[in-house]
Amino acid sequence: MVSTAEIDGQKPKHRPIIRIGIFIIAHSFLVSVVCCTAGVLALLLLPVLAKKTYVSENALMPGSATPMLSDQDVSGATRFMNELTSPKLKSWNMGIELPRLIALHMSNLGGEVNYHKFQTQPNNFHPLYFFTSPDAEANLVNKTCQSYATNTIGIIRAPRGDGKEAIVLVTPYNPVNLTQSEVLSLGIAYSVFSLLTQVSWLAKDIIWLAADSQYGQYNSVAAWLRDYHTPSFGGHGKLHADNCRGASGMHGSKLDMFVETEVSDTFRRAGTMAAAFVIKVANTGEEGEQDSLKIYAEASNGQMPNLDLINVVSYLAVHGQGLRVKVEKLVSLLDSKWLNFIGEMLESVGKIARSLNPQWKFGIPVQEYVEGSATLVSSLYNQAIGVPTGSHGAFRDYQVDAITLEISPKLSSSNKARQTEFLFRGGRLIEGVVRSVNNLLEKFHQSFFLYLLTSSNKFISVGVYMIAFLLLVAPLPVVAASLFSNATSTNPNSQKHTSSSSEPFQSWRWLYPTKTIFLVHLWGAIVSLLPYFIYQIPECQPTSRLLIWASLSIFILAVLRSFFGSSTHLQEWVLLKSVTVSSLFIGLCLMSVINFATAEIGALILVPMCLMIKPWKIAGKAHSAFNLLLLTVGFPGAAFFVVKGAFGVQNGSGLVEFWYWVESLWAWNSATYIYICMVHLPCWVLCICILLHCC
Amino acid sequence: MMNRKRDNFFSRFILTIITVITVSLSCSFVHFSHAASSDSSSVHTNNWAVLVCTSRFWFNYRHMANTLSLYRTVKRLGIPDERIILMLADDMACNARNKYPAQVFNNENHRLNLYGDNVEVDYRGYEVTVENFLRVLTGRHENAVPRSKRLLSDEGSHILLYMTGHGGDEFLKFQDADELQSHDLADAVKQMKEKRRFKELLIMVDTCQAATLFSQLHSPGVLAIGSSMKGENSYSHHLDSDVGVSVVDRFTFYTLAFFERLNMYDNASLSSLFSSYNPNLLLSTAYYRTDLYQQQMEKEYVIDFHLSAHQVPVTNFFGSVMETIHTGSAYRGVSGKDSNRAKFEVSSDQSYDRDAKSITTSSDPEKQAVKSGTCPHADLWNMIVEKVQRIKDVDSIVNYGFVGLLTLVAVSTWHSS
Repeated sequence: MVSTAEIDGQKPKHRPIIRIGIFIIAHSFLVSVVCCTAGVLALLLLPVLAKKTYVSENALMPGSATPMLSDQDVSGATRFMNELTSPKLKSWNMGIELPRLIALHMSNLGGEVNYHKFQTQPNNFHPLYFFTSPDAEANLVNKTCQSYATNTIGIIRAPRGDGKEAIVLVTPYNPVNLTQSEVLSLGIAYSVFSLLTQVSWLAKDIIWLAADSQYGQYNSVAAWLRDYHTPSFGGHGKLHADNCRGASGMHGSKLDMFVETEVSDTFRRAGTMAAAFVIKVANTGEEGEQDSLKIYAEASNGQMPNLDLINVVSYLAVHGQGLRVKVEKLVSLLDSKWLNFIGEMLESVGKIARSLNPQWKFGIPVQEYVEGSATLVSSLYNQAIGVPTGSHGAFRDYQVDAITLEISPKLSSSNKARQTEFLFRGGRLIEGVVRSVNNLLEKFHQSFFLYLLTSSNKFISVGVYMIAFLLLVAPLPVVAASLFSNATSTNPNSQKHTSSSSEPFQSWRWLYPTKTIFLVHLWGAIVSLLPYFIYQIPECQPTSRLLIWASLSIFILAVLRSFFGSSTHLQEWVLLKSVTVSSLFIGLCLMSVINFATAEIGALILVPMCLMIKPWKIAGKAHSAFNLLLLTVGFPGAAFFVVKGAFGVQNGSGLVEFWYWVESLWAWNSATYIYICMVHLPCWVLCICILLHCC
Repeated sequence: MMNRKRDNFFSRFILTIITVITVSLSCSFVHFSHAASSDSSSVHTNNWAVLVCTSRFWFNYRHMANTLSLYRTVKRLGIPDERIILMLADDMACNARNKYPAQVFNNENHRLNLYGDNVEVDYRGYEVTVENFLRVLTGRHENAVPRSKRLLSDEGSHILLYMTGHGGDEFLKFQDADELQSHDLADAVKQMKEKRRFKELLIMVDTCQAATLFSQLHSPGVLAIGSSMKGENSYSHHLDSDVGVSVVDRFTFYTLAFFERLNMYDNASLSSLFSSYNPNLLLSTAYYRTDLYQQQMEKEYVIDFHLSAHQVPVTNFFGSVMETIHTGSAYRGVSGKDSNRAKFEVSSDQSYDRDAKSITTSSDPEKQAVKSGTCPHADLWNMIVEKVQRIKDVDSIVNYGFVGLLTLVAVSTWHSS
């Protein structure tokens, strides 16, 4: 045709950048194969590219001061723990007495104490409030006195500080069923609190939050944070608390006499929070000759605290207290054959490289590689699902850097001397961290916020891990462009006989498949909102809810399909694929900004599927079978089960587990849910459309 | 006959007057030239110290401790408080993180509280800026600035300028925001030289890459000691694990260690201070720039500069200038100091003259000599004009004139009769 002749004629006159573009588009197949392979390889190489962590903020100076925690503090903590576990207390109503006892001890140490009564909030799905702060939901809940829990808060004012900043220590405990490990964590916090009331070097206030976790660890902290950040004028919240006070029958105890004068129900505040530490003690003892420390950092939507916070803690734990620091990893991956194989390959490549040039040092031992990968996968997974890994996640919603320190004592921690030593270790670690953060002058900002951990002292920064993702998504626009140019160059020949009137609109033909894609995405949005209505159905099992959801989705899809219009243009699948691919590109890029890990995993699944897809009538048998396999894996639910199966995280039966998993995504306002419903699922449906396209 | 006689008388009278006036003037010249030489303060009159800590924040505790230690040392060695300008960018003593409120230590043994009763901080906190620092050096203050905050040095002053903080290649950071660059410093020193605000200036800098800060200096009479060369870091000496910060820098620590061995009457030289720096202990290479100083020496026709820069007594900068000190030290044998002093006296006159004539400072002293040799009369005339301009003691001239007149009248009457 004239147009193609014109293009051919103009080709040599194009500027070099355009010629390169045309060249790449012409070789789109090669480009996409190379890029995808490189992307996967780059992902596998990440543990090798990890760098050592370092404390970036000068002001922190971890470990520069000797710990001051003394015998007196620890013996005080031991007495406190004995009182907590005394049989006398067991006879009382634990839920009321324990906060009272903790408050008494806090005020005896010299802290300002108050109670915070709060009500649990059921994890309802409110699509309209999806991305808003949790406060928006606060008023919706009707208050009943039964579900009240009581946090106890002790505040130490910095003697010469300006009172504008605070450091928060959180010890979750369940007053109804107090375990030995919770007692230990309370003991550690007590010893630190006891020390900090006496020191003269505090520049930030210290808040000890003994969080009542009988309705969930996260909820208690989140409720306190909500009230901390939303000052209520006129005592609306207090009114409810007072109403319930009489009902819960908190009177007549001997402790009342002591506490009444010092403890008030007015909500006490300190300054803005510089950092928060959730102190926990692991239930089970660890095998090995050392106590160990496990750090949990992931908050909602894959947000991480500043890397400096993790650095300080792990530096002090390793160099100060001789603890073994661990980060969560997928244990099942450690034995996997293929990972070991890749590790060996990389190690031998590193060795060869070093023999060629001694200055090339990029090989790492197999063991390190496998452990790094296991940690990396766990880190990716935790960030991808967007659910916080502990109550520290509540702080991140208020832009406070927080982590959970889970200290696990080595086995046989029962005897007395061992317990004292453990208290010393834990207390000194917390003291060192508090002192280091106390030196801080500004918010944490020097180090990274976007990173993946491969071990407690190795990290991959955003600049490195983005490469893998970019290589994966790079073929998408190329393939879309090449498909589009193919369609525009081939179609006119086939369509010549149908109608000549549509010729002026040739270049706008992509609008037809766009309509289809718009409808499918609309369907995705509807599917994402359906659970809200399903929740309105009372008395329903998870399995049946899941089935209702699925059948409703399919029904709506069928209804919408009638709007698709019959596929009159037989060659349209090329354009359809082109637009699908470009919409996927946009979706993945947007998601990578919100939550990188989700986008990375999504790209791993969707990019091969979208690039390979072809109508089964055109493609060969092997190709179609492969497409079918990719489609099966690519279905969100199937992907979930495949991932679960591959990493061996199995608990509960399939469908129920899936429902709970999705439920947790709603509960934590995870953007992953939106991604699955609005990008992943429509893309999958479109791929099916293309596969079933009759040419 | 009578007329001729009278003419004769008159001509002789005038001649006598002229001779008398010439004689009297030359007498007064002798007198005034003496007076002038003492007026121009070519001698070392006083010592000043400008001590600057440029960094804020608790983790820079050591910089304040450095500066306060040096403050204490120069005070101990005899510079009074009114001649010390102390600039501290932050107040560590009252920082909430300080375990010992209102105290600052430079050693973990906590024996010496540097922030005692009589510490006069002239510029504190956010007053320590590059602008204020340059104002202090060049003396361009606003009217309201009190005398105690000004560097009131004169052309006979020896000034010690000590700076510590965080630096880099040709800059020194002030307050986490500003920076003083090497050409700013060189410019300020040049202005000081032109305004005759110092005779000798010792710049001591304890920062990373301190030597680079001196690269632009061109003014004669400047000595510079830096803690580290280009590309090197200056490290802290030790950590006080009780206070939780590093308390002193290595360079300053060993400088102080040197001075602790000295008292007010000691006569150690700057080169011995410099040679006391051990690169292995400093973990950096100390840098000593003396060429500008020697340049001045050469100009001042002291060819023998072995005596000059190498034997500058540290008390030139760190101590007081009370003459008693020097009589005390005179018993220790002949030192280069006194001879230096004599030479300075003579030489700075010359340099002063050159300045007055606004001859551009050429580094070649021989050229100068040739120049002045070609036209001695012009030189003499210039000198006379200048001396006459500078005569302040008008009364004595009038008196001499009267005496001359009286003798003239007496002689003429005796002659005529």
